[in-house]
Parts: sequence; C-alpha cells; structure tokens
Amino acid sequence: MREHRRQFLTAVMGLALISGACAPKGSDKYFGKTVPPKDNVLHYISGSEPESLDPQISDGQPEARILMALYEGLVEYGPKDQQPIPALAKNWEISPKVDEFIFHIRDNGKWSDGTPITADDFVYSMRRGFDPDTASRTASLGTGIKYSEAFNGGQVFVKKGETYLLDKDFGGETKPPEPTFGPETALSRVLHSADRLTLDGDEKKRQKQIDGDPKLKAAVVGAEFVPVKAEDIGVEALDRYTLRITLRQSAPYFLGLLAHQFFRLVPKHVVSQFGRAWIRPEHIVTCGPFRIKTERPYDALIVEKDPNYWDAANVHLNGIEFYPIEENATQLNLYKAGSIEAFLNHTVLSSWVDEIKPYKDEYLNFPENATASYAINMTKPPFDNPKLRQAFVLAVDKDAVSDFRKVTKPLFGVTPTGTYPDFDAAMKKVGEELRQKSGQTPEQWAKQTKLFDPERARKLLSEAGYPVQQQGDGWACPTFPVENISLTFNTNENNKAIAEFVQAQWRRNLGITVPLRTMEFKTFLAERHTKQYVGFAQLLWSGDYMDPYTFLSLHYGKESAGDTGIDDPKFNAMLDEANAELDPQIRYEKLARAEYYLLDQAIVVPLTINATNWMKKPYVKGMYPNPGTLLPWKFVYIEQDPAKWDHDVDNIMVQSDPMVDEQLRTLTSTQTDKQLVASSK
Amino acid sequence: MPYFILRRLLVIIPMALIVVTITWGLIRLAPGNFYSGEKKLSPAVEANIRAKYGLDKPWYTQYAIMIKNIATGDFGTSLKYEGQSVNEIILRHLPYSATIGVLGYLLALAIGLTAGITAALKQNSSFDYGSMSLAMLGLSVPNFVLGPLLVLVFSFWLYWFPPARWGSPSAIVMPVVTLAAIYAAYIARLTRAGMLEVMRSDYIRTARAKGLDERTVLLRHAIRGGLIPVISFTGPALAALLAGTVVVERVFAIPGLGNIFIQSVLNRDEPLILGIVAFISLLIMVFNLVVDVSYGFLDPRIRYE
Repeated sequence: MREHRRQFLTAVMGLALISGACAPKGSDKYFGKTVPPKDNVLHYISGSEPESLDPQISDGQPEARILMALYEGLVEYGPKDQQPIPALAKNWEISPKVDEFIFHIRDNGKWSDGTPITADDFVYSMRRGFDPDTASRTASLGTGIKYSEAFNGGQVFVKKGETYLLDKDFGGETKPPEPTFGPETALSRVLHSADRLTLDGDEKKRQKQIDGDPKLKAAVVGAEFVPVKAEDIGVEALDRYTLRITLRQSAPYFLGLLAHQFFRLVPKHVVSQFGRAWIRPEHIVTCGPFRIKTERPYDALIVEKDPNYWDAANVHLNGIEFYPIEENATQLNLYKAGSIEAFLNHTVLSSWVDEIKPYKDEYLNFPENATASYAINMTKPPFDNPKLRQAFVLAVDKDAVSDFRKVTKPLFGVTPTGTYPDFDAAMKKVGEELRQKSGQTPEQWAKQTKLFDPERARKLLSEAGYPVQQQGDGWACPTFPVENISLTFNTNENNKAIAEFVQAQWRRNLGITVPLRTMEFKTFLAERHTKQYVGFAQLLWSGDYMDPYTFLSLHYGKESAGDTGIDDPKFNAMLDEANAELDPQIRYEKLARAEYYLLDQAIVVPLTINATNWMKKPYVKGMYPNPGTLLPWKFVYIEQDPAKWDHDVDNIMVQSDPMVDEQLRTLTSTQTDKQLVASSK
Repeated sequence: MPYFILRRLLVIIPMALIVVTITWGLIRLAPGNFYSGEKKLSPAVEANIRAKYGLDKPWYTQYAIMIKNIATGDFGTSLKYEGQSVNEIILRHLPYSATIGVLGYLLALAIGLTAGITAALKQNSSFDYGSMSLAMLGLSVPNFVLGPLLVLVFSFWLYWFPPARWGSPSAIVMPVVTLAAIYAAYIARLTRAGMLEVMRSDYIRTARAKGLDERTVLLRHAIRGGLIPVISFTGPALAALLAGTVVVERVFAIPGLGNIFIQSVLNRDEPLILGIVAFISLLIMVFNLVVDVSYGFLDPRIRYE
C-alpha cells in the first residue's frame, strides 16, 4: 500500500523532467538504452526500502517481491495467473469439504546452508507465524487454520476435569463431526471433535466476558483456564515429508493463500539461535531460488542464484539486484539510461502515460487485483440513510473517472471485473435472474449495473429528505448539510485529482459541493480506521489472494477492514454459506448474490480497477504483468537474441513462450490435473 | 576561553534533553502508528505488536525507558526495520550524506568566496552585476528543478554521468553540484556584503595609511573580517548538509540520512526519529560552538570570558 504514496515533489519533478525523460515520439523503437546485460543479472527497482527480510514480519508488496526470490513455501504463484503451482510441496490432496489439506513435501529441498527441509520446518514456521511474540501483522490471513486465531490472540481453553467446555454449548454453531482426512492422530482427534470454547487470555477481559453470560459463569466454576498453545493449531507433520493442515471451516480460496509470504518457510535452526537478529546478513539462511549476496540498505539488495535450491537447474538468472527507489522520475531515468531492466507497478504517472504508451514492446498495462473506491461511513448521519448513500453512488460516472485516470478501468462493484472470468460469468448469470425478477428491460439493467443514473440519484436524494431543484443549467440542493460532511483522502497529486473530479460530478449531478479534506497518510489511516470521518474516505484495496472473497470479506463481520461500519448479518451469512459450498461455480454464484446485496446497501462509491502500469526491457522474458505484480523469479530470463525479444506486450498474456511453458509444465506435472482444478477454483 | 567552551558544552546536555522530549511528545501527538497500514489490523494482532514493542506500558514508563536508554547513548532499535539499531542506521548512512554535503559545501565555498570577493573588489563592475545576478538565479532555482535539469543535460544529452544511484565517482558530480548551487549563491552574496563593509572600515584605512600594499591589506586584514558572516552561516549550514538533504538524495537515489529522516517520520518510527533529531541538534550545537570560538581568531575585537 505504501507504493500508493507519492512524495510532494514528484509532480514538480515530472514537469521539469518530462521533456527529458521521454524520447521524442517515433525517433526510437525502444525507450532509451536497450542492451541486455552480459552477466545475466537482472536489475529491478522494488520501490520503498524493504522493512524486514523476515517473511512473517513484512507485509508490503515491495517486500513480497523480494521475499519471493529468497523464500519458498508449499506453493508458488503461477507467473501469469497467480494461481498456486507446486513449490516445496510437490503435490497435495484436498478433503471433500475443502477444509483439510495434505501436502507431500519434496525430499530434495534444502536451506541455503545445505540443511534439508522437512515437514517439521513447515510446522515450525506456521506456529511461529501465529505466535503472539512474533507479532506478525499478516497473521490474520491464516486464521482459517483451526485454533490459530485463538493461539495468536493469547486465548484460553476452559478445562473442567478431563473435558473441555465446548463452543456449541455457549452460542456457537453446532457442526456435525467430520472424519479425519488421512491418518488419524492424537491431534486430529482433537481437531475433529466438537469445537472447544475459547475465552480471552487477559484475566480482566475474560471475567467481563464470563460475568456477562450467566450460563458461562455457572459452567466455569471449578474450571481451569488452559492457554491455547502452538501445538494446538491445525498444522501437523504426519511424517518427515507429509504435512497436514486442518481448517475450522471450508475455505476454497485457502490454497491460493499459501503462496503469501506469511506462509513461506523460516529456518528454525537459525531463528532459535539468533532470535530477531536472524535476518542480519551474517546469520540469514533462506530457501528460495536466490540467496543474499550483498545488503546495502536504501541502496541495493543483491541476491545470487542459490546452488542448494532444489530446482536450481531451472533458475535462469545468475542474480537480481533490487534497488529501493521511490521517486518516479528517478525510476524512469534509470530505466532510460539502461541501468535497470524493469521497475515495480503503478510507476508511470498519468502525466507521462501518453509519452510512454507508444513503446508497445515495453509498457505493461493490465488490470490488477486491486480497486479504488470511496468508503461511506454509514454509522454517522446523514449517511446512515441508505437512500442518500445510493444517491451519491449513482451520481458518479465511473467510466468518466477511469478515462480521466488514463491507465485504469472503471469499477462497477466491489470485486474487480476481468481478474476472475468465472466470477464475472456468475455475476452475469445472477444479474440476469435479478433483472427478470425486477421486471427491467436488459437496457435498463445494463444501465443500472453501471451504477450511474443522475436522474435517479436526484430522486433518491429528494426522497431522503433533501429536495433537489433546478438552478440555471444545473441543480441545487440547498437543504443538504454539506458543511458537516467531507471527502477525505491522503495528500497526493493523483488522489487529489480524482477527488476533485468526483467532487465536480456530484456538483453537476446533485448540486452538492462536498468539501475535500486531505491529510498525511498515517493521520488519514487513523481517521479512517477509527471511523471519525463523516461522508467519504478513500479506500484502496489490493487483494491478498486470487479469489473474489478477498474483496467481499473487506465488508464481512464486525469492525470490517472496509471502514464503512457495516456489520450486516444477512451479508455475513451469505458469505459463510458461499464458502461452505463445494461446487466452485455455485460458490461463485452465491458470492455474486452477496455482492449484489452489498451493492444495494451502497456502502462504497466504486471508482476504478487499478492497472499494473510498469515497464520492462524487451529482452527480459518470463516476467508477466499478473494481477498483483507478484513475480516468480525462477521463470525470468534474459534473452540476448533480439529476434526472440518480447514485442507488442499487450498480448504478452496470450503469447506463448516455449521456455516458460515447458518449465511450468514440468513443475505442475507432479500434481494431477484433477487436484489442480480443484485448487485453482 | 576554555571556561567559555566548557560552559557551552554543559549547556548542550539539557538542550538535547529538551529537544528529545519535545520531539517525543510531538510523535505521540501525531495520529497513526508505525504498524498502521491500508489494511486495518485485527485487535489481537495489534495487541501482540503493542506488547512486543512495549507500547502497552503507561506513557511515563515508556518515557523513562526512552530517557534511560538515550542517557546511555543507546537509541534502541528501529520499529520499522526490525533488528537494526538506530545508532547503526545513523552511522551507516552518515558517510553518504557527509560525502556529498562536505564536497558540495567545499565547492560552494570555492565558487562563492571567489565570486564574492571579486565582486566586492570590483564593485559595480560588469563582473559584479553578472555574478550577483547568477547568484540570485542560484538562490531562486530550487534543487528539485536544478537536479532533473542536470540529469537531462548531462545524462541524456551528453551521456557524461549516470542519472542516479551511488557507486562510481562520476555519479557524485551532479548531486554535489546541485547541492553546491544554492550555497554558492548564498556565500557569494554574504562575502560580497561582508567585504564591502570591511573595506570601508577604519582599520583598513589605517592599514592602507601605513603604506601596506593592496594585496596585504586584502589577505592579511580584510578577508578575516569580511568572512565573519560566512562563518556564521557555515555552522548551521554544514550541520544541515551532514544530516542529509532529502530532495537531492531522492532525485539521485543516494542512501543518505536526509531521506531516511523523512521516511522515519512518515513511518512513525519513534526511536529512529528521536535518534536522528538528537544527532542533528547535537551537530548544530557543536558547529555553532565551533563558529563562536572561531570568531575570536578571525576578529581580534571579539573576546570571550
């Protein structure tokens, strides 16, 4: 998320630089110096300085890309579609309910110091990730694993005699016991018996919890509070090379999540020896295709091919130099000078796009698994009125906003279209059902799904108690308490431009001029997270994994991360029900229904689908603008022969590269087709 | 004199304490945390982080711990960059800032003094007008414009220097020139004004009346007095330069202290902010002391008791 932040000087620098940074049109085929490096080392600008090389500590995307070179987990992101492909797990089996996974770990995996990698390393890494002492910011990603949330939150079980109090006896839902998937063990018997009740680990908070529930109060008399331990969570080594993960409920998206840095391996034998200092250059041990060669903070992080890596034969590059540079003009300068081969996403500013776009062999602009919208605080009047929220949503022309931004695509909902074709189809199918039910013509429906209808917006506004009158050529809404609300965003040229554009739309279509409020990034986040804002706040969201749920869950449950204040039991239940669905297509339809329901609540003003918006030299191959710009580096290679260079990269996702295709085929051949299909949906 | 220096050195300690305390309070007042991001953390995860870094303790305990650590010269560990101590970060990045800062200032001195003295001696000549106009221009062109302009000319038209990044000696040229421009302009104007004033003073007239040749008058007597404004300016300027210059460091991707300082504030990285603020204030106080002491050597009329 940090990459969305731009420094104040970028815009000014851009003005001063635009004539210099961009070659005159048509004078050259390529943008600046285009000569492949002879030493087979890739030079890549990775954005801000990486926080930490500990995969369980860093949570940013710039770090994710570096960590992908250094560490591996059970699965890796596919180079084009980001769907999970085998990594340290050569294959896996999934329980019929998609709540239990058995992974078969490779027997030739090794750490960069030569120590063999076994299933125990995975057990250790996951336990460490959830350990409260690790204080991982990304731990919540894995809370689908049974009892991991309780362990991470320092909670306790309630033990009475030899038995534990059960969740279902105190308001939890009753789930029929499931047979263990695979061999039964002591742990699996616990995990597959009824859910245990967990209470807060903090004595005061727990007492409050107990005092508030007479039944619980009576039950805990004479009971013992047993802290939830690392050994209690649903991760287990069945033998040296077999790992089982048990979830608390079905989660069809879980496999895709396992490629996230949080689930990558950390070396027990080094962490236990050096503690937090294990990531220092003199101690660090890694398990990915590359290992650390030189670390110069704020200057360069240089990695080299690791001969101990199990698949070293298929790692093409000799090394990668990551440069932590944030200034967009500097990035482009270095690219033009040929000092780097590629840079991270979101880097070509709108003001430069027209100059850069003609370089068709280098400029990569594809939809991202990320959205921009304005959250509406529904807890504070006047926006506790759904009609009013709808009016503001319908008064913004999303196509126009996107055209204005140049590189993005319009967003008409919560989940970005184009990233999940099967989900798009489900949305269409459910939409058709809803259309017939509502009796609208296809034209009317098409208009409605675009979420832009100024006339209806004015009508809704009037119905909400704020009559709109014609005034000259435009409209006026004199009774609306506009001085109480605002559109809040963090200070940044792009954000400001969009906010002004949307402000103009509201003025034109509703006759309301919403005041703009801008503030420093962290100040803004505090304001939004605590829901102090009245009206609208910018909400940029990049998906954590390749499933629509990563966007829908943003508005799930209490204190949801969308910061709109929604906690809609019907919507929550719709999502739960969808995730319990085993047929991927039906699940998508259920999620689609939930999305339509959410759109009716009008808690966000959808704006745009982010674009990848980065460049690479044509001689760099196997590097794709996938939806998260998450680059599996072992597929990347440097092509010396200009005849084989990438050209017209708008087609790069459909063009085939025999080298990448073959590598991918070999890698996925260990996993049977059927299971891969199950995993990718 | 030694008594004066000792007294001034002793004042530095409470001053530094006050600076650190005010900074600490200001950081606490700023909304947001080092761990806050676009994605809101779950309460349990947030509680774990607060416990890990001691943020769950009462503020006075945290303040006491902070002061105790600083008193022993240990600014603790960065919150953002896990496992890196603040002292280590400052010492690691100081050389980069110091290199371009000192080189830039030396270049500025060379240009500024030459131009300033010459302009003063040839007052109202075309050189005077020319150099002072140039100085005015140097003062008004901000370095975030000058830097990219230099890149345009020297990297993309002439191919003389790389556009950014630390490494070869040639990569230092443009950052140093960008830094030097504004200081050279300032020094030139200060020198010219100082020299003009001194050249009209009584002791110069006396020196001339004694029959000294113009060269001796200038080098032995005038320059020492004429440079006092420049010396006063040098103290804080050099301190600021050593601590890094954000714009130049960002434009040329130099891993200096200035950029790290700004980032530490944006990141709410409390120990790092405190460390750098304390370091900069120490630099300023020490440099000011050096400047004050040097007055005594430059101008015989100034004496400290």
